[in-house]
Amino acid sequence: MAETNVTPKRFTIPIGPQHPALKEPGHFQFTVDGEIVTGAYVRLGYAHRGIEKAAEERNWIQNLYLLERVCGICSHVHALAYCLAVEKLANVEAPPRAQAIRVLVAELERIHSHFLWMGVSAHEAGFDTLFMYSWRDRETVMDLLEGLTGNRVNYSANQLGGVKCDVDAAQADSIRKGLEFLEERTHHYLNVISHDTSFLQRTRGIGVMTRAQAEVMGAIGPTARASNVARDLRVEAPYAAYKTFPVKVVLDERGDLEARFEVRIKELFESFRLIREILEALPEGELVARMPRRIPAGEAIMRLEAPRGEVFYYIRSGGGDKPERLKVRTPTICNLTSVVRLAVGHQLADVPMILAGIDPCFSCNDRMVQVTAADNGSEKLMTWEELRKYGIDFYRRQAK
Amino acid sequence: MNTEEIMNLANGIAHAWDWATETSQPRPNHLDVTVKQLKELLPIAVGLRVKRLGQLSAIVGLDLGLEANEIEVLYHFCPGEAEIVLRVRVPRQGGELPTLSEVFPIAEVFERELHEMYGIEIAGLRNTERLYLPENWPAGVYPMLKDFDPKVLSEPEGKA
Repeated sequence: MAETNVTPKRFTIPIGPQHPALKEPGHFQFTVDGEIVTGAYVRLGYAHRGIEKAAEERNWIQNLYLLERVCGICSHVHALAYCLAVEKLANVEAPPRAQAIRVLVAELERIHSHFLWMGVSAHEAGFDTLFMYSWRDRETVMDLLEGLTGNRVNYSANQLGGVKCDVDAAQADSIRKGLEFLEERTHHYLNVISHDTSFLQRTRGIGVMTRAQAEVMGAIGPTARASNVARDLRVEAPYAAYKTFPVKVVLDERGDLEARFEVRIKELFESFRLIREILEALPEGELVARMPRRIPAGEAIMRLEAPRGEVFYYIRSGGGDKPERLKVRTPTICNLTSVVRLAVGHQLADVPMILAGIDPCFSCNDRMVQVTAADNGSEKLMTWEELRKYGIDFYRRQAK
Repeated sequence: MNTEEIMNLANGIAHAWDWATETSQPRPNHLDVTVKQLKELLPIAVGLRVKRLGQLSAIVGLDLGLEANEIEVLYHFCPGEAEIVLRVRVPRQGGELPTLSEVFPIAEVFERELHEMYGIEIAGLRNTERLYLPENWPAGVYPMLKDFDPKVLSEPEGKA
């Protein structure tokens, strides 16, 4: 037949950079044959801010504030990874009470992140009711975090050598009360995502990643655990207070989107249990250990289990007041490359769900800035002082 | 596998290449393997992979400065609690490394980042397109080098 000799024309569908699957920038190109994806391409960097380079210009204390801003969702994990790595270099250990509070905030953050993700992926599935409800409930945990640390997003709970905030009886009570509400809601959501027929049509058997694939492609975090890979640094290499307050790894063997939903929601129950345990048995004592101003020369690696998977920090100190090199490897980059491969062979309409299924976070991946000056469109690099002055002037003008 | 078994395995692999490696174990869970012959990097990494120690966590570049005129590249393998670091050195100009992406698919993005940030050529990498830097970033400017000067970006010839 003549048709068989015709090479099918490749049709490319660009997705992004604006709002590819969620409200963060990333660019994807999918080649399709009809409705079926035959190839995938990723371009990142739209939120690259040069944080690794900037970290070499700032002292040890300034970097804490810079690195907390790598990610707007798991900010505490980044600050914690940095603090733990610097403490390792300085051979200082934060007091037990500080370590427990660090874990407490980290688990509250995990709850906030998983609720946020549940909303986003429900929205991708066209299930906006679940999106609205889960984001409404997320406010509860945001309020708890604000009550504890004073901030909704960049909590700034850490400081080198310990934490800045303490937990008193009233705060503990409000956390317990908030958790009670959240736990009840979580039971409801678990029921919804595992029983709602129309939702299951979007998740069951979609984006399946086998255990072997997950291991070879280097998937991490809940995405890997949904494919039965038992990797959780809180268990494998317990840091901060996870030795005193152990967690159980939540696994699922199905490896599809439904499994990724279930694993994350079941992890929430683990977090609720852990937070209650910490509040019951919070060690007494100091909040901060004394840190030297200069950090001894050396190298430190710190790996933490962020809500999305392993965060990797490498810090090299030359003995001065600034790091010589600081490397951040965030979980999304590992999961993104594996999941983009999985998209091949799927319906194009499933792609947003598959992408959202790993809980991608683009600002974590991208860490460099090039400022395009708004007045003449020319590109220039602004110094921190210029940018600060520009910001102040801008809002002054707005206020007039 | 517990950490001790992992470290024994990793030490065994490093010693199998003892003519090309130097090992040190500064902490019980940390093994530094300096690979002195570049062409042995891939076989050693494959050795780790075969023994199920191939969880490549990150590839980190270190500019050792103008004086040393070298870049050190660290391949971090982190199975469980263990940290196995393969360290290689390449010249600051015209350095070239073999790709690990055929064995570790995740290495592709790390190597592309290493290439655009440090200017190290990665031999055998199928996709060498930019991953993070903008399209109009000037060619031959590598921002993570210690002598990177942001002024080159505002010069007229610096613009594409």
